[in-house]
Amino acid sequence: MKKSIGILLLGILCIFQSCEMIEYHPYDGRISGKTDINKKNIARIEETCRNKETIRFAMIGDTQRWYDETEAFVNALNKRNDIDFVIHGGDVSDFGLTKEFLWQRDILNKLKVPYVVLLGNHDCLANGIEVFRKVFGEENFSFIAGRTKFVCLNTNALEFDYSLPVPDFQFIEQEIKDKKDEYDKTVMAMHVRPFSEQFNNNIANVFQRYIKEFPNLQFCLNAHDHNIAVDDLFDDGIIYYGTPNIAKKKYLLFTLNSDNTYNYEVVAY
Amino acid sequence: MKWSLIKYISFLSLVLLFNLSGYSQNGYEKRVEKYQNQWANLIPTHIKFQYAGGMGLISIGTGWDYGKNNQWETDVFFGFLPKYSTKENKITFTLKQNFIPWTKPIGTKGFYIDPLACGLYINTILNGDFWISEPDKYPNDYYSFSTKMRFNVYIGQRLTYKIPHEKRFFAKSVTAFYELSTNDLYLASAFTNKYLKPKDYLRLSFGLKLQFF
Repeated sequence: MKKSIGILLLGILCIFQSCEMIEYHPYDGRISGKTDINKKNIARIEETCRNKETIRFAMIGDTQRWYDETEAFVNALNKRNDIDFVIHGGDVSDFGLTKEFLWQRDILNKLKVPYVVLLGNHDCLANGIEVFRKVFGEENFSFIAGRTKFVCLNTNALEFDYSLPVPDFQFIEQEIKDKKDEYDKTVMAMHVRPFSEQFNNNIANVFQRYIKEFPNLQFCLNAHDHNIAVDDLFDDGIIYYGTPNIAKKKYLLFTLNSDNTYNYEVVAY
Repeated sequence: MKWSLIKYISFLSLVLLFNLSGYSQNGYEKRVEKYQNQWANLIPTHIKFQYAGGMGLISIGTGWDYGKNNQWETDVFFGFLPKYSTKENKITFTLKQNFIPWTKPIGTKGFYIDPLACGLYINTILNGDFWISEPDKYPNDYYSFSTKMRFNVYIGQRLTYKIPHEKRFFAKSVTAFYELSTNDLYLASAFTNKYLKPKDYLRLSFGLKLQFF
């Protein structure tokens, strides 16, 4: 009898020690901790890169359900001090579960450099996009690092059934005009590249024509395919760089030089 | 003569009585009684309230105890989930199967402990953008899971107070319980990642059970 009371007391003790273990539902959208990550990190990027002529950034993507590997990336990147920021090409979540966004945010927040996260197709599942918007921010956004504008787009058209314009040409048009005197180079980033099954391929060529309106478009970045890919998709000299998923333990490193050239390398860690 | 008449009448009435009662026991009334008893078995034996546990903020349910020592329990719940950072409030439905192998009395004041309760439950969200299997717009096996159905497993403990006969109003006993649970997707995530610790993929819930009979 005393033993059973002991077991019960032990159980109750465990309960009081772990209030953070209360969860209402895996899709409850109950968010604790930091929110609006992209906006806060963009302010940091724009501040630290303000007068820089050479910009160096890492590109990763598809970290869903690879927490150990994402943490390994963060540790590897924190050992360097020559990188200005990190772009995450989307898919932080695998199932759209609320906690997945928070787990990934907490790992990426250990990066010493600022990072931004694009919206991936998996991030749209269930009510994932509502959590994504709260934790990371709007699905279309841009920032200026040095004299280069980075335009980050939601291209996951298959997820939205025309309920949202994907890609959003009004946003693109506005971005071409906005802060025109503050940048003279452009980099485009998106989760899925044109001709992917997620992309609205009816307007793939139109999209390409439109984004070439940006001043001095350097190249395009995408994730989603889980493999390294370097393709001149439209035979027009604009290269699309596909990012490996984080399980490959590789990231892409880009250096934008002051003489309007850039270097690209694949870093294994 | 007179005596034999009395004997005859009493014999006759006994036979009649026996026949009548025999008729009712073996026939129509017996069948009605059986039929009513069968439906009576479907009257829920208890109600439950549960806080958290992946079924909603608060869930209200009812169910049935059965088995030799009432060691089995099947419950159905409706849960309420406020919207928090999402665009709408949600209603959930849960089907839960419990197994409570042992019950031990503590002291003599009517307290009992179930050192182990365990079970499985399926939860579904009744509104919002959730699907059982992916919509046709996707290529085959694009997302090979359901956002609408979650399969959960739990272990827990219970403490029961048997209300003394004279103090009973509606319930014969009250049980408080806690559960430690997880679901299929959390397990799939935890299985391949050392980064995720039990406090990440296990969650606590609490509840109360009122036993009617």
